[in-house]
Amino acid sequence: MSALPIEAVELDVLTDRPWITLVWNDPINLMTYVTYVFQTYFGYDKPKAEKLMLDVHEKGRAVVSSGTREEMERDVAAMHSYGLWATLQKDD
Amino acid sequence: MFKSGIGGRITLKLDDAEKQVLSQIFEQMDELLQVTNFDKNADPLARMLNMDGSTEISDDPALARLFPDGYSQDEHASADFRRFTEQDLRQAKIDALNDVRLMLMDSNAKTSVTSVQAQSWLKAINDVRLVLGTRLEITDSSERYNDSQEDESGMHLYNYLTFLQGTLLDALT
Repeated sequence: MSALPIEAVELDVLTDRPWITLVWNDPINLMTYVTYVFQTYFGYDKPKAEKLMLDVHEKGRAVVSSGTREEMERDVAAMHSYGLWATLQKDD
Repeated sequence: MFKSGIGGRITLKLDDAEKQVLSQIFEQMDELLQVTNFDKNADPLARMLNMDGSTEISDDPALARLFPDGYSQDEHASADFRRFTEQDLRQAKIDALNDVRLMLMDSNAKTSVTSVQAQSWLKAINDVRLVLGTRLEITDSSERYNDSQEDESGMHLYNYLTFLQGTLLDALT
């Protein structure tokens, strides 16, 4: 997979997009389901969705999106509707 | 189980026993979701706007899992987030449940599933798995197929739902 999209997201976080959505690992949601949700809701391609899912699984959490506080509240609410354990916070 | 046919059309095939089990578990799920957690101090306007949801996470671990906090480091923001989103989230879960329960009333063994219905199935099955998994105290992914749990029938049901969700994900991707 290309590392470019992830670098782009990280750059955004560092500059003008100070809020982030985190998805936390849980023992119930299937890995295939989490990947599917990342693809469907965020429109990420499969390699990127799988990379994020593995980060959640192995590191305990992953930043799945960044943007304004309102955008992140929308993303967190959407993740909750899929049953994923997500929170938002200011990136620091 | 779910299958993807020609042109990506998804079909669902369930025997009577499966339908019965699913109907029962979805009915229990509906009862659990009807346990509303209103904020008694909400003003009438907030109530009218469906913003009188609770500000606190549920004491019931299963409900806490379905309606988690929105902020991990900010109690106040989390309370506000919950007040403004929990009732809508609850209604969305109930709507998905109603969708799939309606499909279970179909007397045919095999039915075709629209893309909207597929999303309802995906969310409804997942919500039940979250509740069951929490009740069974599943703490590690490797325990998913472990039947040596105390609650064996619960574990069988959990594994069946995992299987069913897997077939739907296969059909969708």
